[in-house]
Amino acid sequence: MKIESTFKVKKGLAEMLKGGVIMDVVNAEQAVIAEKSGAVAVMALERIPADIRADGGVARMSSVGVIQEVMNAVSIPVMAKARIGHFVEAQILESIGIDFIDESEVLTPADDVNHINKNNFKSPFVCGATGLGEASRRIAEGAAMIRTKGEAGTGNVIEAVKHMRTITNEINEVLTCDTNQLVALSKKFRAPLNVLEEIKELGKLPVVNFAAGGIATPADAALMMQLGCDGVFVGSGIFKSGDPAERAEAIVVSTTNYNDPKVLADVSKDLGEPMVGINIDTLTEEEKLAKRGW
Amino acid sequence: MKVGILSLQGSFFDHQKSLDLISLESLLVKTPEDLDKVDGIILPGGESTAMSKISSYNNLYKKLDTKIKQGLPTLSTCAGTIILSKSVIDGDTHIPNIDIEIQRNAYGRQNESFEADVKFLNNNDIYCFIRAPKILRTLNNDVKVIATHIEDIVGVSQDNIVSLTYHPELTNDNYYLEWLLAFMKEGKYVGSF
Repeated sequence: MKIESTFKVKKGLAEMLKGGVIMDVVNAEQAVIAEKSGAVAVMALERIPADIRADGGVARMSSVGVIQEVMNAVSIPVMAKARIGHFVEAQILESIGIDFIDESEVLTPADDVNHINKNNFKSPFVCGATGLGEASRRIAEGAAMIRTKGEAGTGNVIEAVKHMRTITNEINEVLTCDTNQLVALSKKFRAPLNVLEEIKELGKLPVVNFAAGGIATPADAALMMQLGCDGVFVGSGIFKSGDPAERAEAIVVSTTNYNDPKVLADVSKDLGEPMVGINIDTLTEEEKLAKRGW
Repeated sequence: MKVGILSLQGSFFDHQKSLDLISLESLLVKTPEDLDKVDGIILPGGESTAMSKISSYNNLYKKLDTKIKQGLPTLSTCAGTIILSKSVIDGDTHIPNIDIEIQRNAYGRQNESFEADVKFLNNNDIYCFIRAPKILRTLNNDVKVIATHIEDIVGVSQDNIVSLTYHPELTNDNYYLEWLLAFMKEGKYVGSF
C-alpha cells in the first residue's frame, strides 16, 4: 500500500524543518542566497512584509511566475502565502506543487468569518496564532504547523514574544488543570475540546510551533528558541538588512546554538546594519496585521 | 551507554524519544567535543544543505567523519543518509561513508510524500517517506540491502553504519525499537533480511 499526503506526512515535513530558519525571498537570486546560507525552506513572495506594510492597498497571493521561479531555483522546500479564507488561492498553490501553504494575516483577508478547511488539501498548511485558542482552531481546521503571528514587517520582536509566552502559559493551564475544568478552558480559549484533550495527553502542542513576525537579529532568533519555539521564520529581517548573506548565516547558526551566548556573540560581530524597526505603539489598530484572523 | 543525535537541525527530538522508549541515554550533539561523549550516533532527517552549512561553523563533520570511520555505531535516516552517501545526484557529497548512489527528493515534492509498506529485515510495517531520497544503487558488495519498498532499496548496511531513507522515528514500532537497542549495543549491523 502507498498513501500520499496523510496528516502524518504533512506534520512530518514540519518536524524535518525543526531547529531551522525559513526565509522570505522575492526572486531566484535571493532564494539561492537563502539556501546557501543554510535556510531549511524559503517563503516565495512578490513583496516582503515590510514593503507590503509600506505600500498599503490589498495584498494578495504572489504571482505564480515568481513562486515557480523560486521553486526552480532551490532544492529545499518552498512555501507561499494564501489570504485567510481564500481557498482558491490555496488550490492554485497546491496545483503548482508548493511544499507548504501559509494562510497568512500578512495578506489582506478574503473571508471575515472562516479560515480555509485545510483538511481538504494535499499540501500542508502553516497558520499564525496569538494564543492557544487561535492555534487550536487552526489545528482543528487541519494546520500541520503553527507559528506566532508577531507583527510582520516591523523588525520588532515584542509581539512574537508576547504570542509565544501566551501560548506557553495557556498550554501550562491545560496541563495543570483537572479534567473537570477542560470544557471550561475550551470555552475560555475558544479552543476545540478535542485539541485541548490531545494537548493534555501529549504535554505539548500536537504540531510544530515556529516563531515569526519581527525577528531581525541572531539574538532575536535565539530569544525565541529559548522561549520554546521549534524554529524561526525571518521575513523582512534578512533582505532589508545591510549584508543579507552574512545575516542569514548568522541567524541560522544562532538558531541551532541558541543556548550558547559565546557563539551568539561571535556570529553577531560585524554584521552590518539590521533592518530599520518600527515601534508597535506607533501603529494604528488597522495597521496591526496580528489582529487579522478569527 | 550514551547515544548521540546530530542536532544541528531536523527531527532530532523524535529520535531522542525513540531512545527514551528503549531507556538509552542520549545527547544532542552540536559540537566536536560532544562526539567524545557518545558511544553511537544518529543522523536525523531534515535538510542536508542546512545541516552541512551549520556544521561548517565549528567543523563538526570532520570529527564526525573520523569517528564513523573508527567504527562508531551509526544510524542515518533521510537527509542523514544523503550526508553519508558516496554519490549524490542533484546535490553535494558531505561525509561519504556508505557506498551507495542516492538521489535527493527522488519521489517528487511534498505533495508526493507518502506512507507505505516497508520490509525491514524480517518485518513489514508502514513508514513515512517525506520528500525522500532514493537509493539508486549500491556501489559494491560491502553494502547489504536491509529494507525495501516494492522494488526500491530504502535501507542499507555497511560495517558499523545503517542508512534508511524513511522515518522509523515517526512510527516507533516495537520491531524497530528492539532492533535499534540491539544495533547500538552490538555496535554493528544486526538481523537478517
